[in-house]
Amino acid sequence: MTTRIELEGGTLLFVEESHAIPLVEVVVSTRSGSAHDSVEKQGLFRTMLGMFRRGARDLTSHQIEDALDRLGSEISLDVNASISTMYGQVIERNLAPFIELFSTLLESPSFPEDEFGRLKREIVADLIGARDNDRALAQRAFRRGVFRDHPYSRSAAGTIPGVESLTTDDARAQYRKHFVKGNLVIGFSGDISLEAAERYARRIIRDVPDGPRLQDPVPPPSPIPGRRLVFVDKPERTQTQIVIGQLGTSPHDEDHIPLTVANAVFGGTFTSRLMREVRSKRGWSYGASSRLGIDRQRHSFAMVTFPAATDAAACIALQLELFTDLVEKGITTRELAFIKRYLARSYAFEIDTASKRLHQALDVDLLGLPADYYSGYVAHVEAVTLEQANGALKNRLTTRDFLVSIVGTASEIEAKVREAIPELGTHDVVPFDRD
Amino acid sequence: MSTARAKWIEALNTGDVSKITFEGVVPFGGGEVLRYRLENGLQVRLLVDRSAPVVTYFTWFGVGSRHEKLGKTGLAHLFEHLMFNETESLKAGEFDRKLEENGAESNAATWLDWTYYYESLPADRLSLAVELESDRMAHLVLREPQVASEKEVVANERRFRVDDDIEGAASELLYKTAYTVHPYHWPTIGWMEDIQNFTPEDCESFYRTYYAPNNALVVICGDIKEKDVLAKIQKAYGPIPSSEIPLENTHPEPPQLEERRVAVRKPTPTEKLYIGFHGPALGDADHVHLTVLNEILFGGRASRLYRALVIEKEFVSDLRGWVATFRDPGLYELHFTARPGKTAADIEGVLARELERAKTEPISDDELVRAKARLELSTLQSMETMSGKAEQIGFYETVLGDASVSFRRLEDYRRTTAGDVLRAARRYLVDRARTTIHVQPEEAATSVEAAE
Repeated sequence: MTTRIELEGGTLLFVEESHAIPLVEVVVSTRSGSAHDSVEKQGLFRTMLGMFRRGARDLTSHQIEDALDRLGSEISLDVNASISTMYGQVIERNLAPFIELFSTLLESPSFPEDEFGRLKREIVADLIGARDNDRALAQRAFRRGVFRDHPYSRSAAGTIPGVESLTTDDARAQYRKHFVKGNLVIGFSGDISLEAAERYARRIIRDVPDGPRLQDPVPPPSPIPGRRLVFVDKPERTQTQIVIGQLGTSPHDEDHIPLTVANAVFGGTFTSRLMREVRSKRGWSYGASSRLGIDRQRHSFAMVTFPAATDAAACIALQLELFTDLVEKGITTRELAFIKRYLARSYAFEIDTASKRLHQALDVDLLGLPADYYSGYVAHVEAVTLEQANGALKNRLTTRDFLVSIVGTASEIEAKVREAIPELGTHDVVPFDRD
Repeated sequence: MSTARAKWIEALNTGDVSKITFEGVVPFGGGEVLRYRLENGLQVRLLVDRSAPVVTYFTWFGVGSRHEKLGKTGLAHLFEHLMFNETESLKAGEFDRKLEENGAESNAATWLDWTYYYESLPADRLSLAVELESDRMAHLVLREPQVASEKEVVANERRFRVDDDIEGAASELLYKTAYTVHPYHWPTIGWMEDIQNFTPEDCESFYRTYYAPNNALVVICGDIKEKDVLAKIQKAYGPIPSSEIPLENTHPEPPQLEERRVAVRKPTPTEKLYIGFHGPALGDADHVHLTVLNEILFGGRASRLYRALVIEKEFVSDLRGWVATFRDPGLYELHFTARPGKTAADIEGVLARELERAKTEPISDDELVRAKARLELSTLQSMETMSGKAEQIGFYETVLGDASVSFRRLEDYRRTTAGDVLRAARRYLVDRARTTIHVQPEEAATSVEAAE
């Protein structure tokens, strides 16, 4: 059971002990993320966080990296729309000096100008390098198409003009606003006692100023009407990457768990309908799945496949047929019984390490999930009725409005892909190297 | 029902643990791995670990792409897919369905030296893994429709991992160029033409030869009771006959006497370099020393090449070094992605200077301390989950015949000296034994020697 402790200034601490391996994980999250970036300065939050290891107090970037290595430790960052997180992991015997270093990075980043310029150039190079990743290109086109002007449409990594426009003053201001006691959540997992975790957490926030928890600026997203296609054109593709979907659900929807269950039947397992029809029967794609995104607001429903270019149009047509069948006819009693057993029994692997248990507790707090979202998950799944599952499919998903995003070679297959989407409304072809 | 099948079912109910030979104990971290062998040659390794109510079940087969022949490349990998199909008692899809119904996670992997299959299950579902794995070791059905469908899936996997993936394509070309005789020359996924030409007969012959208990190792790790598990194993696997594993007749790769370079054009925004030096086998003492050197050159942001190429010169956006962990001598691979506007020549100039330094100047004590601490961290990280532990045990048992090597390597890292690292650098960072794949953006390419 994860222990929850409220520290001074409103910082929360979560601790999950396990002494199986002499490693300790440290997590410091803000209750805010890239949704706080302006449209013009996309990438600010992540760039600001990246500066933590580029200079702190009197330590240079090289001294910080050298110290991290010497301790047998590492740190990494994760920024999404609603949360930002700095992870650390260290060999247990070096925990005390690691916490001193980790605390220094968090409480006294120095934002040196030369390092800031260097980091911006690194990020821009990474954004250009990401054009090699077809799957990421398809996901980006999907996210932009489904959420359009909503903050969820943006990438936390930012855009090239956005990152190039950033200044150290922007980063300092963002840091001062978000790194205040009321906006922080700390977690420890692994080979550490509760008492030590509490002591180290107090050290981490010792010099962090008081300040309030920040409000989420993200409104609920609105569905975009019509059937749309975004074709990301890249030369010499023998294979396509396809994402098809629309808005999904919010964890606060009453039918969220029933929809999760129905989605698992459709594309959540190796024997799901999508996998069986696309991979097992036809051999069209190495993988075929569907998933529901989760954030504070309603997120996406997406089907993902990657068939050969020659099979792309037929695969899209099949997926749309399967999706229509799912929404209109629902799942069967037998499928429901099967998936409930799978979800309930496989839950053991959601909580089989201290780190996983800690992150469940953090997610509940940081995303504002229902308090029993994880602890009551198995019971909630087992209680889902056929009517609830099929009702959720009809209430939350629609065969009328969806987006197809695909990465492929337009001159070879774009016309066939369009033909495969009945009643297609708009379609756009965008070059793969356009930001 | 076949006679063999009837006998096997009968034996399932009359397992006799006394037929299992205990072969000793291997220290593994704070615990110990128990080693057993069945009469038919099946090796069993058990690690009791009650830190979570789950169990992981790995089956390793001593066959990988190194056991294939020219014209039949990719068979070991295709076979991995086929193992999830029908058996005499299970229809297509039922294997996965039974596992999922019981909450299991499962997957498989094939590489140059080995193939493995695993299931992670709630601890009380272990019997299911024993039943399903022993069944498909003995009673797989290989017919035309299943083989044809899986060939298509694998062809799509190849497009995904190789044909449309720059790193996958370059890595394939690197091994194809660096190895001329040894089977590490061809990719585990196989050449596309070979994948499309496999017949059910090819698969059947491969199965009868290599998927036998005397070519297999079962590793079980988790909340288990030793005696119960052994009884189940004996019942399920005891009746499966061993096979005659053909003598492996692999020619060692002759020394590479001159540098090899290949340039290719791809639709990519930036230049890339993939370099391979012929390196040590996993069991060679210098494998440890070269791994330490790799940490000093590439490990983390304080490493020499990160400092030189990312921080100081700003020539690259990504770089990695990796010492192949193969049974026979593998490659020491170096990968670089140039930043926009920077060239492979820019990178190679800096690289040459740093490699020369590695061969002429001993590393500092500080660097050695850092490298050892990083390697200790990564070793511990690989043991965080039950499946991580089982994979480590199976990997070292299959490749080197000794599970304890995974922890012994930690001791070897600690004992490594600057002199060991210097010697390894001089032995392996040899220009004539280097192969370079240079990927250029299509519009920028000039004099390009097209790859085969």
